[in-house]
Amino acid sequence: MSTRPRSYNTEGVVLRRRNLGEADSIFTVFSPTEGKFDAIAKAVRKPKSRMRGHLEPLTRSQMHLAHGRNLDVFTQAETIAAYLTVRDDLDRLTLAVYCCELVDRFTVDRAVQSDLYDLLVDLLEALDAGAPLTVGRYFELRILASTGYEIQLSRCAICGGSIPEGETLFSVGSGGLACAGCRGSAGAGRLISVRAIKAMRFATGATMGQFAGLRLEAELEAELQRALSEAIRSVLERETNSGRYVEALAGPLQRPVHEAPGDVQ
Amino acid sequence: MAEVPSTPEPIQRLIEAFHRLPGIGPKSAQRLAYHILRTSEQEALALTEAVMDVKRRIRLCSVCLNITEADPCGYCSDDRRDKTVVCVVEQPLDVLAIERSGGYKGQYHVLHGVLNPIEGVGPEDIHVRELVIRLQAGEIQEVIMATNPSLEGEATAMYVQRLLGPAGVRVTRLARGLPSGADLEYTDDVTLARALEGRREI
Repeated sequence: MSTRPRSYNTEGVVLRRRNLGEADSIFTVFSPTEGKFDAIAKAVRKPKSRMRGHLEPLTRSQMHLAHGRNLDVFTQAETIAAYLTVRDDLDRLTLAVYCCELVDRFTVDRAVQSDLYDLLVDLLEALDAGAPLTVGRYFELRILASTGYEIQLSRCAICGGSIPEGETLFSVGSGGLACAGCRGSAGAGRLISVRAIKAMRFATGATMGQFAGLRLEAELEAELQRALSEAIRSVLERETNSGRYVEALAGPLQRPVHEAPGDVQ
Repeated sequence: MAEVPSTPEPIQRLIEAFHRLPGIGPKSAQRLAYHILRTSEQEALALTEAVMDVKRRIRLCSVCLNITEADPCGYCSDDRRDKTVVCVVEQPLDVLAIERSGGYKGQYHVLHGVLNPIEGVGPEDIHVRELVIRLQAGEIQEVIMATNPSLEGEATAMYVQRLLGPAGVRVTRLARGLPSGADLEYTDDVTLARALEGRREI
């Protein structure tokens, strides 16, 4: 039938905003029923706009849209959850933005992936409820799995053989762990510890809440972060903007003021 | 568009120059160019001079990085203004907005941007370092973060707070709440929650 409705309702999480012209903005939204899409909000940058606050990035909103010639146009928006705690903490905010960028980069327009939507909402809710920042690692593992890049953790990714307990090569190019015999053919990778492998295996079978309950030492967490961000970089074949940002936050400007800026290495 | 090649080259060049301006489409650019064609030579000269003056005479204040003709700028060299408090804004236009309010008589610092984790704009891309150096003189006791109440503005405010807070500088944030003439019904949850947090006795 050619008579499709002129407008539709959906809920979604706002992933990003770009300004357009004098007072309009284009928002990228991830919806459980529509997938990822861009839509225009007219006059949203004017102070009297009724939609402005409901379409801030990282907001989960109920939206009403009208089909446009090119992009759809927001006609109404109302917040479902604004995640105030996330917004009040720089580290939580940065992690949430990073995860939104991952969703943006791992999805294509209008492809419905409701499991990924649930994962994103779970993450935002967990961060808002005070979960440790390690839930970011859970998110990374899960987004890789749900977009077809599951990391092989139980067997050797190359020969399918079992992985003896010990330091093992984690080779993103081959899709996961490589046993000692396959090390030569696995290409570039990094050695990861038994504890890191166990934490990742646990994540594949656990809920986000269960993983958040896991107490990871700082050293182990840093190891997981390095390994997983390397995996993500290799799949996306690029750096993430917000990933660079996480590094910048820890960069030289992070030093206390009383140190002269010239002193940093 | 068969008539485009027949447009005389100087007019075509002017149209293209206007087209590069923000918010000017091809039709508006054409209209502006033909308008210039009809104006007197004096008016056209005044326009070119105004454009060139902006480029030649305006620079950034070495203290607050606001746009200025004289260095240091009028705000920084005015002895009647409070030297112990500095208001940090995103853009030079924000300085004008705060001045218009008439309620502020301190110093300014213009970041010329805002941290944007989504687009990858980091601390090195905006003028935060200059603020840190400015504070080392020790005269400034309070930093008012007047960045926009958007995700990017909040991220910037929190970043500056983290950067300066440990050094004993008081970092404050503009209050957030309902704008004059707003409808409570259409107000988003974040704004309402902040407005309640910051409520005042009347």
